[in-house]
Amino acid sequence: MNISIIKWWWLVFLILALPLLATLLYALSTTWGATILPRGFTLRWMVQLWSDPRFMTALGHSLLICLGALVFSLVLVLPAMFVIAYYFPRLDAVMNVLILMPFAVPPVVSSVGLLQLYSDPPLMLTGTPWILIGCYFTLALPFIYRALANNMQAINMRELIDAAHLLGASTWQAALLVVLPNLRKGAFIAVLLSFSFLIGEFVLANLLVGTRYETLQVYLYNVRNESGHFSSALVISYFLVVLLITWLANALNRERG
Amino acid sequence: MRGKGLALLCLVPFTLFYIAFQVAPLVWIAIHSFYSEMYEAWGWGNYSDILTSTFYRQAMRFSLDISFWSSVWGLLIALAGGYSLHQLGGGRLHRFLMSFTNMTSNFAGVPLAFAFVILLGLNGCVTLLMHKYGLMQTFNLYSADGLIVVYSWFQIPLGILLLYPAFDGLKKEWQESAALLGAGRWHYWRHIGLPILSPALLGTFVILLANALGAYATIYALTTGNFNLVPVRIAALVSGDISLDPNMGSALAMLLVLLMVAITLVHQWLLRRSYQYAGRRS
Amino acid sequence: MSWLNVTRLSKSYGPTMIFQDIDFSASEGEFVTLLGPSGCGKSTLLRCIAGLTPVDGGQILLDGQDIAPLTPQNRAVGMVFQSYALFPNMTVERNVAFGLKMQKLPASAISQRVAEVLELVEMNDYARRYPHQLSGGQCQRVALARSLVTRPRLLLLDEPLSALDARIRRHLRDRIRSIQKELNLTTLFVTHDQEEALVLSDRIVLMDQGRIVQTGNAEALYTQPVNLFAAGFIGHYNLLTAEQAAQLTGETFHRQVALRPESVVFCPSGQGIPAQILGHSLLGNVIRYRVKAKEVELWVDVLNRSVESLHPAGFQVGLLLEPGTLREVA
Repeated sequence: MNISIIKWWWLVFLILALPLLATLLYALSTTWGATILPRGFTLRWMVQLWSDPRFMTALGHSLLICLGALVFSLVLVLPAMFVIAYYFPRLDAVMNVLILMPFAVPPVVSSVGLLQLYSDPPLMLTGTPWILIGCYFTLALPFIYRALANNMQAINMRELIDAAHLLGASTWQAALLVVLPNLRKGAFIAVLLSFSFLIGEFVLANLLVGTRYETLQVYLYNVRNESGHFSSALVISYFLVVLLITWLANALNRERG
Repeated sequence: MRGKGLALLCLVPFTLFYIAFQVAPLVWIAIHSFYSEMYEAWGWGNYSDILTSTFYRQAMRFSLDISFWSSVWGLLIALAGGYSLHQLGGGRLHRFLMSFTNMTSNFAGVPLAFAFVILLGLNGCVTLLMHKYGLMQTFNLYSADGLIVVYSWFQIPLGILLLYPAFDGLKKEWQESAALLGAGRWHYWRHIGLPILSPALLGTFVILLANALGAYATIYALTTGNFNLVPVRIAALVSGDISLDPNMGSALAMLLVLLMVAITLVHQWLLRRSYQYAGRRS
Repeated sequence: MSWLNVTRLSKSYGPTMIFQDIDFSASEGEFVTLLGPSGCGKSTLLRCIAGLTPVDGGQILLDGQDIAPLTPQNRAVGMVFQSYALFPNMTVERNVAFGLKMQKLPASAISQRVAEVLELVEMNDYARRYPHQLSGGQCQRVALARSLVTRPRLLLLDEPLSALDARIRRHLRDRIRSIQKELNLTTLFVTHDQEEALVLSDRIVLMDQGRIVQTGNAEALYTQPVNLFAAGFIGHYNLLTAEQAAQLTGETFHRQVALRPESVVFCPSGQGIPAQILGHSLLGNVIRYRVKAKEVELWVDVLNRSVESLHPAGFQVGLLLEPGTLREVA
């Protein structure tokens, strides 16, 4: 074919990589003031970061909340999606509206109502990680729903259950023993997509919880004025952690086949 | 029918939590937007205050301006980059670039603000580089133009990810037929490629617009609430020390939600239209 | 001097050779079919002639001009794809007009020529329709019109009928042939369906694994297959080893032998070669018998004249082989 491929992707890759590279350089440089390139290189910022107990706490908080929210979401969404797919297929249209809501109602807007509703007893949730887990469930819902819905369609769920019925299983046995194991791939993708999205969430974490249960992003914001190098080291570490977890999860999933 | 009853029970926890964390706040906002703190009465007070205030109108103008332009630039770059990426076919380079795009789509927010300060801040390396050659002396990261640059950056990965499936719908045979009928690359894109992609382009543009309108973390980290945008105003009204007025915040939030709902409806309509091209014989 | 002359054309994808040193030609107005099984390289060859795939070496002379270095836009070659490739965002009219628009013809000339060619393919009532509103056969007719309207020097058809159902396929097949004759347009037709090839072509080029096995008209290819592959691909030949043929006829053979099933005639038992019917299949107008004669199993095709002539399994018959019907193939 005489039509040549313009290598725009090079340019786009460069544009996207530039901020990352800049942050990486900053994290590893001794000083980088009013000069185009840093003066020298060092690992001391990374060392300082990883020996900071506040960082480790924030990291722990982030991981805990994200994983907790994901488990919570799966526990709520899986049965609901199964029930809708098998018993009430017409509710699927309703679901489609529901997953659009977190998109049409940005977190900043939700926080207005959330702060007012849950800041006083008896539902004193703001300032605790519980409100984040609840909110993250709604944020992750579109990702989880889409991944699981694709999976359910691909495995031809209704036929599988029919086959199980003919072999003597009740619907619930079929759901647990036949459908659920086959949804592993979709659940996995859902979790991966949502994880990287949730761990980067700042708006709700800052407005609803703040320093009372500091997550990575909030910590990042709070220490921004101390040292640019330190903050950059923090950003790079955060990025590396997400990459590591994603890679680990992928490797584990591939092993299990 | 016992099965169905038990099934309904499965829907209850899901519904409960969804209402608690997504619907209830929205309902609260909707109701309280009509109560004005200032006049201590129910009515359209908040809304009229917002729409007549130069301050809030400026916020809305800035929001629309920045969102619109960042979506345009983001879309154009995503179109060129995404199409070029699609043409790479399978292979390791392609997989790497797709993962990279996925990765960078999560970089937005506080980390992005930092990175851009390093690059284009007052003493940023790119700023200094430009000054050395006498270019862009008046560029300020913390102005509307600067924000358009930052926002465009985080629109690109989202744009690529959204547009990518549409490129699969561009059959190679169309380009080949067009070539045999005398059409070069430019003519192909003008008469065939872009028209076929237009629902996807418009749909993506609309999502990018909504993405930018609701963005809060990046602008907050960059300017600490000193730049007048709608999300910043909303947050300030709800959690600021000086201007605490959650009802006014609710009204402003409702206006934003209305705009977002309109955008969502347009997008859904565009999706339905694009079915005309997808999956049809041609 | 032939109209199309392909000389020593070669194409490889890395280590895989698609075709090598291909030589063939077509005279003006001739309908040539490239026939072969999947993967023999015929479609790639067609695409190379169209300019959609670059060649590694060789010449493609069209009306004396070497078009191999030219882009597809400049070759004045028309092509119809298996998947029609109609532009979904344009009406039938605008699809057909596209090539003329690229040639920058005035609007009045365009509309006149579009109307003419749509009438030729019997699609003038559908001018304002969109591709998704048409059936497969209708789409293919529009695709044909679109490639004809620019008055190309050569028409290429890449398995254009494979995606259509049988009845439409036969009708469209005849239509394509009559239009081609009317316009005296040199045509290259790619197919894996030997019936299509036999019905349509002035000449057939039989390909296998990137090489031309045999070139000739339908009669030649059918009655004189040059090797085992050709005999196995065209028609429904009986392929016998030399020993089996010797056993059957008493003559000596040195190579494998091909025997056409319709060239064996039944005669009453006692005459000719004694044989026993093993079974039969009804193919519509032909009954295909499986017979066994002197330990050799054969297919025998007989016209289905009446239900009385249907022989049951176990029936004893005699076989008459016309001389010269056993053909040695490599």
